[in-house]
Amino acid sequence: MIKAILIFNNHGKPRLTKFYMHYAEDEQQQVIRETFQLVSKRDDNVCNFLEGGTLIGGQDYRLIYRHYATLYFVFCVDSSESELGILDLIQVFVETLDKCFENVCELDLIFHMDRVHFILNELVMGGMVLETNMNEIVARFEEQQKLQKSESGFSAMPNRAVSTVRDMNLSQKLRDIKIPDMPSFSSLYQ
Amino acid sequence: MALVRVKGVLDHVLDKNLQDLVRGIRNHKDTEGKYISECIEEIKQELKQESLVVKANAINKLVYLQMLGYDISWAGFNIVEVMSSPKFTFKRIGYLAASQSFHDGTDVIMLTTNLVRKDLNSTNTYDAGVALSSLSCFMTGDLAHDLANDIMVLMTSTKPYLRKKAVLLMYKVFLRFPDSLKPAFGRLKEKLEDPDPGVQSAAVNVICELARKNPQNYLSLAPLFFKLMTTSTNNWVLIKIIKLFGALIPLEPRLGKKLIEPLTNLIHSTSAMSLLYECINTVIAVLISISSGLQNHATSVQLCVQKLQILIEDSDQNLKYLGLLAMTKILKTHPKSVQAHKELIMQCLDDKDESIRLRALSLLYGMVSKKNLMEIVKKLIVHMEKAEGAHYRDELLSKIIGICSQNDYRFITNFEWYVSVLVELAAHKGMKPAQGRAIANQLLDVAIRVQQVRRFAARQMSLLLRNHTFDKQRGGGGSAGLVEVLYAAAWICGEFAVCLAGDEESEDARRATLEAMSLPYVLQLPGEVQAVFVHNQVKLYANLLLAESDAEERVALTTELLTRLEQFVHSEDLEVQERAVCAHQLLKCTAKALRQAAASKTAAIFDVGDVATEDGAGSTAEADGDAVIDRVAKELSGLFAGELNPVAPKAQRKVPLPEGLDLDAWINEPPAPPKSEFDEPVKRKSGKSSGRKKEPEAAVSATVGASASGATNYSSSDPTVAWGGASGGGFEQKEYH
Repeated sequence: MIKAILIFNNHGKPRLTKFYMHYAEDEQQQVIRETFQLVSKRDDNVCNFLEGGTLIGGQDYRLIYRHYATLYFVFCVDSSESELGILDLIQVFVETLDKCFENVCELDLIFHMDRVHFILNELVMGGMVLETNMNEIVARFEEQQKLQKSESGFSAMPNRAVSTVRDMNLSQKLRDIKIPDMPSFSSLYQ
Repeated sequence: MALVRVKGVLDHVLDKNLQDLVRGIRNHKDTEGKYISECIEEIKQELKQESLVVKANAINKLVYLQMLGYDISWAGFNIVEVMSSPKFTFKRIGYLAASQSFHDGTDVIMLTTNLVRKDLNSTNTYDAGVALSSLSCFMTGDLAHDLANDIMVLMTSTKPYLRKKAVLLMYKVFLRFPDSLKPAFGRLKEKLEDPDPGVQSAAVNVICELARKNPQNYLSLAPLFFKLMTTSTNNWVLIKIIKLFGALIPLEPRLGKKLIEPLTNLIHSTSAMSLLYECINTVIAVLISISSGLQNHATSVQLCVQKLQILIEDSDQNLKYLGLLAMTKILKTHPKSVQAHKELIMQCLDDKDESIRLRALSLLYGMVSKKNLMEIVKKLIVHMEKAEGAHYRDELLSKIIGICSQNDYRFITNFEWYVSVLVELAAHKGMKPAQGRAIANQLLDVAIRVQQVRRFAARQMSLLLRNHTFDKQRGGGGSAGLVEVLYAAAWICGEFAVCLAGDEESEDARRATLEAMSLPYVLQLPGEVQAVFVHNQVKLYANLLLAESDAEERVALTTELLTRLEQFVHSEDLEVQERAVCAHQLLKCTAKALRQAAASKTAAIFDVGDVATEDGAGSTAEADGDAVIDRVAKELSGLFAGELNPVAPKAQRKVPLPEGLDLDAWINEPPAPPKSEFDEPVKRKSGKSSGRKKEPEAAVSATVGASASGATNYSSSDPTVAWGGASGGGFEQKEYH
């Protein structure tokens, strides 16, 4: 089971939080802070696993994370999940975001947290992996977006938010950052 | 009417949407809290309006604020309103808000039952889809009870998209409403062979989770899973199944034997590292489960170790880490196969990644043998010197101690070497008290238990004390951990003072040690350490006195120590003060006796002895002063006589029960039960006391003495325990049983 999925930036600012177990808001913030502390002090060239955080309870849990450009994607999982499998899942998640947002960057996540949630809901449901096929996930998400468009002319407001903000540091494309070479993983999805 | 509509639209256009909110927060970096509370007020106003467009927009903003840590439970009812919107756009926002904020304690959940049911049965796939997804986050017992049937129906939907979501959601239903498991299980099992891989994967997922909670009940599905394992090509499914087998194997050893072959085939054929790794893990689980059997699975072990070696050698840190992790599991049952890769694992100690170094360290633990212990420890010490990060250094230190002391020092062939290692470790900079205490315990343990090494240990400890003094005088200072080691050093020097005496090879170190132990810097040590210093000064002194033949020297020695003890007499620490005062008084008496004896030597005065010795009442004439002095010295060192020997854990059994001791007899008759209504509890009480019959040994230990009490192997390894009388401040004759 996946207990929580957190996305935060290099300064620990949350960009998406999804808890599959109940935590009060202040506890959630505490978990985010502590997780950021743990993850951010690690170099990029070390392994992506962290064992038994006291914050997310118990020996059975591990933090599995990836760091892309300005963002950390952290999954907290128990031992029923495969470590490498979850790393792949994070990769699928990010690639899906990249497809849905066309060259995703941190700003997209900041201004469209709702959409990121909708995409994640096609990937993971209630802490269990729902779908790992990127094309299927993208197709489902886009169908729902179409449905939304057809319902209202107003909802389809232009993305002026993104275009007006000129924050060069944040607009670094996630995709531009070299993703660790793991040729062996690709076999899972092809 | 049209005008009203237009007005509503215009209002909506002027409202802040999510993007405006985010931008606003970013523009109010310094006054974020104030800005957000203004926004929340706005949102509250928006939620009061009729329009669902406005409400949905408001709820969408609340979801964002929830992520920032703001409680949005007050908007629960509005969330339900938005969920009930006929428009998918708003419904989706409502369900998102519900999944982020609803939980068991949310009271509006009970309003959602019919609404969710309607959505589950909606003709619009995505209405049902968002309801299923969101419900997985806020399922309650009531909802599970009321909606179990609707969800079960969706398990057979014609749309795979809904089938897989329904299957996954059933797990939450089972958790909250266990009675639903029985009627649904048949259908769930069918889904294991669903034509859609997503549905199949979901079913495997759910059954794996259920089986993890209660493996016994799912053993019967093993053949089905076995079939899936040999036919499926979906790596996600394979990984889940193989992990599930790992959990089932301990319950059914025959399963393990059957699995070896297909798993081995997968190991050979797969190119996915994740699958390979899980296969290896499950093969290891099989090997562990049948390790007691006669069958020899050398080839499987070999294969696993060989594949893990490839992982460990990989430049990918993740694979390296997992390789070491799995290697640790093999080590327990097949240490020899892992030992062959000692060099490779040693190399990992040089890795830049601390997680990997720690993994390698714990592996080394099990790889140690008599032959390679010295080499491994030497390497670890080198690592410690250049190690970065306090955590890793501490871990190294405790691992070194752990490796050496495991199984009662089984792998140590040379204890002098070990003592030197400990001394070397003690010198480490920045050592914490916990580490120092570990070193101290080892030094005490070894010095007490290994007679042959005592002399060496005592001399090393004396050196340590003297060097520390030297450092202190030059303005240096040890780590916080070193202080703890000094405790052991002082105790060993005092207790084994005789080992410090000179011989043809080495000079007498007692006097220098005594001096080092009574310098002013000792006053800065923590109370418990100071107390040991004070006490062991007296022990050392007693030993010196006995060895000294020159009468004047003896007097000088005594007065010198007397002066030095004075600094401890006014210690703020009670224990130190008590010991110091006692020692001081004792020495005063001794000094007086010595002086009188010395005087008697020249003046030939009789009847001196009664002052100095306790049994001297009406003593006969002891003309020779030297004899008196000898006697004083002997009496004094008699206080500390007796060799401290280790006590075996089973020693207590050998102590015969003293005659006439009946542990079950009342010492004092229990008071008669006051009133009849208390009969019951009183009876129970007497039942308890009869329960003591089973523990006569424990009771004996209390009567026999301190040194044999406790469950530790060697109770005397803790000096405060060995010194039974110390807490009373007196110098009693020790008893070591």
